[in-house]
Amino acid sequence: MPRSTTSLPEFSTSVKLKYVKLGYQYLVNNFLAFLLVPVMISVALELIRLGPEEILGLWNSLHLDLIQIMCSVFVIVFVATVYFMSRPRPVYLVDYACFKPPLTCRVPFSTFMEHSRINNKDEKSVRFQMRILERSGLGEETCLPPAIHYIPPTPTMETSRAEAQLVIFSAIDELLKKTGLKPKDIDILVVNCSLFSPTPSLSAMIINKYKLRSNVRSFNLSGMGCSAGLISIDLARDLLQVHPRSNAIVVSTEIITPNYYQGKERAMLLPNCLFRMGAAAILLSNRRREARRAKYRLVRVVRTHKGADDRAYRCVYEEEDSEGISGINLSKDLMAIAGEALKSNITTIGPLVLPMSEQLLFFLSLVGRKLINPKWKPYIPDFKQAFEHFCIHAGGRAVIDELQKNLDLSPQHVEASRMTLHRFGNTSSSSLWYELNYIESKGRMRRGDRVWQIGFGSGFKCNSAVWKCLRTVKTPVEGPWSDCIDRYPVDIPEVVKL
Amino acid sequence: MLLHACTQSYKVPDSHLRIMDQLCLAYSTIILLLSSLLYILWRAFDYQRNRNCYLLDYVCYKPSDDRKLPTDLCSEIILRNKRLSLPDYKFLLKVAVNSGFSEETYGPRPILEGREECVTLAECFEEFDDCTFATLDELFCRTGVSPAAVDLLIVNISLFAPCPSLTSRIIHRYKMREDIKTFNLSGMGCSASLIAVDLVKNVFMSGKKRMLAVVVSSESMVHWYSGTDRSMMLSNCLFRSGGCSLMLTNDPSLKHRAKMKLKCLVRVHTGADDSAYSCAIQKEDDDGRLGVHLSKGLSKAAVRAFSANLRILAPKVLPLRELAICAFRELRQWGSRSTGKKANAPVNLKSGIEHLCLHTGGTAVIHAVEKSFGLSKYDVEPAKMTLRRWGNTSASSVWYVLSYMEAKKRLKKKDRVLMINFGTGFKCNSCLWEVLRDMKDGGAWEHCIDYYPQQNLVNPFMEKFGWINDDNVTIP
Repeated sequence: MPRSTTSLPEFSTSVKLKYVKLGYQYLVNNFLAFLLVPVMISVALELIRLGPEEILGLWNSLHLDLIQIMCSVFVIVFVATVYFMSRPRPVYLVDYACFKPPLTCRVPFSTFMEHSRINNKDEKSVRFQMRILERSGLGEETCLPPAIHYIPPTPTMETSRAEAQLVIFSAIDELLKKTGLKPKDIDILVVNCSLFSPTPSLSAMIINKYKLRSNVRSFNLSGMGCSAGLISIDLARDLLQVHPRSNAIVVSTEIITPNYYQGKERAMLLPNCLFRMGAAAILLSNRRREARRAKYRLVRVVRTHKGADDRAYRCVYEEEDSEGISGINLSKDLMAIAGEALKSNITTIGPLVLPMSEQLLFFLSLVGRKLINPKWKPYIPDFKQAFEHFCIHAGGRAVIDELQKNLDLSPQHVEASRMTLHRFGNTSSSSLWYELNYIESKGRMRRGDRVWQIGFGSGFKCNSAVWKCLRTVKTPVEGPWSDCIDRYPVDIPEVVKL
Repeated sequence: MLLHACTQSYKVPDSHLRIMDQLCLAYSTIILLLSSLLYILWRAFDYQRNRNCYLLDYVCYKPSDDRKLPTDLCSEIILRNKRLSLPDYKFLLKVAVNSGFSEETYGPRPILEGREECVTLAECFEEFDDCTFATLDELFCRTGVSPAAVDLLIVNISLFAPCPSLTSRIIHRYKMREDIKTFNLSGMGCSASLIAVDLVKNVFMSGKKRMLAVVVSSESMVHWYSGTDRSMMLSNCLFRSGGCSLMLTNDPSLKHRAKMKLKCLVRVHTGADDSAYSCAIQKEDDDGRLGVHLSKGLSKAAVRAFSANLRILAPKVLPLRELAICAFRELRQWGSRSTGKKANAPVNLKSGIEHLCLHTGGTAVIHAVEKSFGLSKYDVEPAKMTLRRWGNTSASSVWYVLSYMEAKKRLKKKDRVLMINFGTGFKCNSCLWEVLRDMKDGGAWEHCIDYYPQQNLVNPFMEKFGWINDDNVTIP
């Protein structure tokens, strides 16, 4: 674009470009309509001009046998039935509930630093944690489980189970209350919790507490990282394709208690600063009568696994430090790898969700790069055309910044992610649901809106899910944001001085 | 409406009208019937397409011989725990004596080498790598399938779930594709391999396209309980190292290479009952040491879960005649309840199946099943010999039992094999396989199948430590 010294010509060229762009998008996306509407109008005009007798005369002159008419009707009916019956079963998200941590579990910065100083004798580690906390983007209301509030923390099996029971049962109780679902009507149960996997499993714990039926299909996924929530949704969707008229409950959580790192290795202290308590319970169904009250419909789930690459595999790695204390080591290439994983994921999901205008541009730029000039910059499709809302896993400030840059999103698009990170911290796989709840609580979710949930996880995985909103969500929304939504959005400074 | 328009303009006589009416009616009914018939055929075709789950091959892990646990080593390991008192040693040796194991079962290296109290993460990974990569290498080699062709990967290991998951570890090792679907199951106990097969079956049926799946089923045995609670020491003595990898597909073009076809799978979870849920639970003892507590109610929970499973399984497996007999017996029992008479004639499982792969949970379990179903020595021989040779390898035990039958050339085309698994929670899972071709691989039993069945069932532990059963004796 030619640079200009005065502002007015720049504005006019950018405005002209904007309208050209809008016009192009409108034309390409509604191409079929533009083609068919004039044809239909001219046919209608012709019919009106001819009059009924002439039309009948035309029809009879065709000498159509009754058999031929019936055969064509039969073929049409048959093809229509086959088409409708072979479509995949729709999967509806009836409702979901997020765990709201009690005030007693709050960890303001002062508490965190005080505990850090007392528990960790190494000055350098304490200073490092302070620096991380200052730049983390977290607020003063994030919560840690009761066992971590003890000095020193008491990460036993019993306290881990207690945390699991607190977060999971609260979320499920709320979900059952919201939807009016009875435990005996649950057909499928999928639980994902990455770093805590007791025997019997968390799914067995839920079956025991709620006295679920003996033929409930339960699965307990573990170790799959922060993107495991979308993996569970994928699994529930597959099961709902096979079993008709079923309800599936997906529980996504991360249990912090057994994973609080108490050593000195810096890269392993990072998770302490970022991970916080949280859980979400989601009710999915393929029953037709739920379609009336369901909030969303699952359009697509796309999973990408970069584990074949060494760097990607090692960037989030559980290992023991030099003193034998185990913790999660986050490597410095995390952002770069996240960007690459995202690129792979959007290469797959792009053609499935982007409108024709963007796909055409992308295709043309690809052809141009291949045939005309390889030096052309690759065209990054504008995903804002395909989605109204974005829920980016609140993994950390840097992750959200990186994705905002890569996808060219505005601050409003990433507001849900940033505010969730501020209010709840990194709640791992359940963070996407807190973000969705934020958007609903702000009254922004309208019928027909499309939501893109993106999760990253160890391995390295990048998973996305696309939902379509089926009914406008009215405020006020009951949920974890109900008492504080009016305070948000807040301005989060780059560095909070401690 | 068309007809009406026609009559309006052409003034057809009444008699013709009636005939045309009837003809139209006749034609529309024929069309509707044809339509529905074709629709039903289409649904049947669609149902069949890519819905079957075939087992292409499976490989059971055979650890290296330096990991064997002979009687000397067993007693040495038991006596290593200085916190135990004399009655505890006696108890443990009794368990070892009554376990039904031979001297050839395998243990994990850290335990054998005396490092059970300080097992590192690296050693957990090493145990997993040894088992998984050995079995997967052999599996890929035998089936000729490349790792890049795998569409679905499932790993189930109950007691070890690191981050990144074990599925990622396998993907990293074999450089599998980016769009692979993976699931890492954990905490699901000894029944997890059938849960993994259930998952594969469901993904196959939902996807409707041709897929290849790999299931890795094993257990992490390095988690040693170093305390003094007896109920938790049991798991130290009863479990042994082992694992297996399976390759499954729904591709009909690979049917000629497949060994077995999955006919049905039944899962039952009795976790709603508190005593069933807490009969096998991982927790800390009074000193804060982590272990798996096995309560006395375990066998009762197993029986209840098994009967619940059988109630659903029987109609799918047994022939009508046997079902009628069972129903008649039930009615008679119900009727005779008032007189207090007990009718306990066994269900004839053999009428619906030819082979039974029972989870090698212990001699008591095998004996109980043998008695309740009136099975012969021949039927329970694979389970007994597997228990003897490999011990209780948790989720992969049924595959070792299957491998025994295959090595003994018992599995012929059209035979039906029933696998039964139990797990914490309390779960009971069962599945029925149909053998597609005469199976004859030696597998993990290749080197020793000729020595089995062992006629002379000398219990080496009984020989060495049999005196422990005498209450009056003391340990030197």
